[in-house]
Amino acid sequence: MADIKGYNMPDELYYHEEHSWARVDGSRVTVGMTDFFQKEAGDIVFVDLPEEEEEVEQGEVCGKIQSRKWIGKLVAPVSGEIVEINEDLEDDTSLINTDPYGKGWILVIEASDLDSELGNLIHGVDAVTEFIEREIQKAEEEKAKA
Amino acid sequence: MLKNMRENWRLFKETTRSLSTAEGLAIDDTLPWSVSNLGSPPILHLYTFVPSVIVGKYQDIEAALKLDRCKARGIEYNRRSTGGGTVIMGPDIVALGFGINVDHPGLKSGVGGVFESLSRVLIGALKKVGIKAAFRPKNDLEVHGKKIAGLSAAAESGKALLFHTSLLVDFDVELMIDIMNTPLIKLQDKGYNCFSQRMTTTRWELGRDLPVTEMMNAIQEAFEEYFGIRFVEDAPAPQEQRKIREFIDTRYTQRDWIFSHKHPRARMGIGQIKTKGGLLEIYLSLSGGSIENVVITGDFFSTTENIQRLENALKWTSARREMIEKNLASVWQDDMIYGVDVPTLTTAILKAKENQVRL
Repeated sequence: MADIKGYNMPDELYYHEEHSWARVDGSRVTVGMTDFFQKEAGDIVFVDLPEEEEEVEQGEVCGKIQSRKWIGKLVAPVSGEIVEINEDLEDDTSLINTDPYGKGWILVIEASDLDSELGNLIHGVDAVTEFIEREIQKAEEEKAKA
Repeated sequence: MLKNMRENWRLFKETTRSLSTAEGLAIDDTLPWSVSNLGSPPILHLYTFVPSVIVGKYQDIEAALKLDRCKARGIEYNRRSTGGGTVIMGPDIVALGFGINVDHPGLKSGVGGVFESLSRVLIGALKKVGIKAAFRPKNDLEVHGKKIAGLSAAAESGKALLFHTSLLVDFDVELMIDIMNTPLIKLQDKGYNCFSQRMTTTRWELGRDLPVTEMMNAIQEAFEEYFGIRFVEDAPAPQEQRKIREFIDTRYTQRDWIFSHKHPRARMGIGQIKTKGGLLEIYLSLSGGSIENVVITGDFFSTTENIQRLENALKWTSARREMIEKNLASVWQDDMIYGVDVPTLTTAILKAKENQVRL
């Protein structure tokens, strides 16, 4: 089940609560932003990325993502060294909107401590459903208050 | 008992002098820092700048401005920490910085929600001085289709948020033409009065000299009413003053910050095609793969409001054909431009994209 209340959230991915996702392939972890994030943020116009070979910690802000006028955070879902950056985003940041889990990937981290860190991320249908429902409910409650 | 007590928020209001860009922007950056690190209640900063021009965090300042003209006219230039485009500031333009916790009750959640809450406040403020404004998704406030304020926000300092806006009390069009590089400037050279068709100020709307302080008071009251709070006039505490100094020294007086190269490529192009409805002429500013600004002109039949609706649907969206078509289609109505349809308009825009040159 990938579709949760209208948001595409693939089962095999691990999610950070700040809406970055992690695809694990051995110790290589591809990172991007979720469908929920791109729908909330709208058209992405610039991605401010770290350099390759930089070290990042799990939960650290390692980049900024600008939609029209809002600047959102890219939070590293795992610790490690950044080994690859998606250069296609330089010419076309809308890939994050149109294909958030495919061509819109942002960077690859060579993870340094996956075994202990994966447990801190949201994973599996039940946990992801609960996460998205919580995010939607938060938005609805705030709307009702206003 | 506590339930009925109004929450106190802090107000930094500067009416006695205009601030330098470094000082004003450094105070604003300190607002979310204070909320997040010192546990301060939300802080509103109302002030004016000295004559200046400020670019968004990820803009190419050298492409956006004619820096030699700024220097010759004594206009300060700087870069803010929030996004968006170039703004002209000065003693007749109210600057607003607002720091608040993103989870604060009463603030609508999500990016769109935050903008909506704050737009409502500003619409309320304009209403108090006799101007009926509306929110133009996603970031502007307009009066009869003309922009009167732009909103920008950045997530900063943990969960606290900095929100920036400027509200035009009066505006010097001649200065803007002299110091900025925008496609509108090219049009102005041809004699189109496109600025007055696209923007307005409180003085132009009211036809009277509205003091900046009156606008500031209206904003203050609108905040109090919308959020059900009371402001306490305050000034930065010693710890906050040290942080302001730090932002001035490490950010707003630093060449590396002001001339940052972290930005998409800025380009501009002009495209013309003949259509059944007449000549279509497109002026396009591109920021990387996105449209920063587009001006649709020519000798076709349409209304200013329709043209602006189309232009606005494309601002800060992808410049790919399918996205242009989709965004135009989202606002398209029959005969918006007589004799022109979405594919034809898209072709004209792509022609301008093909002709792009670096600014």
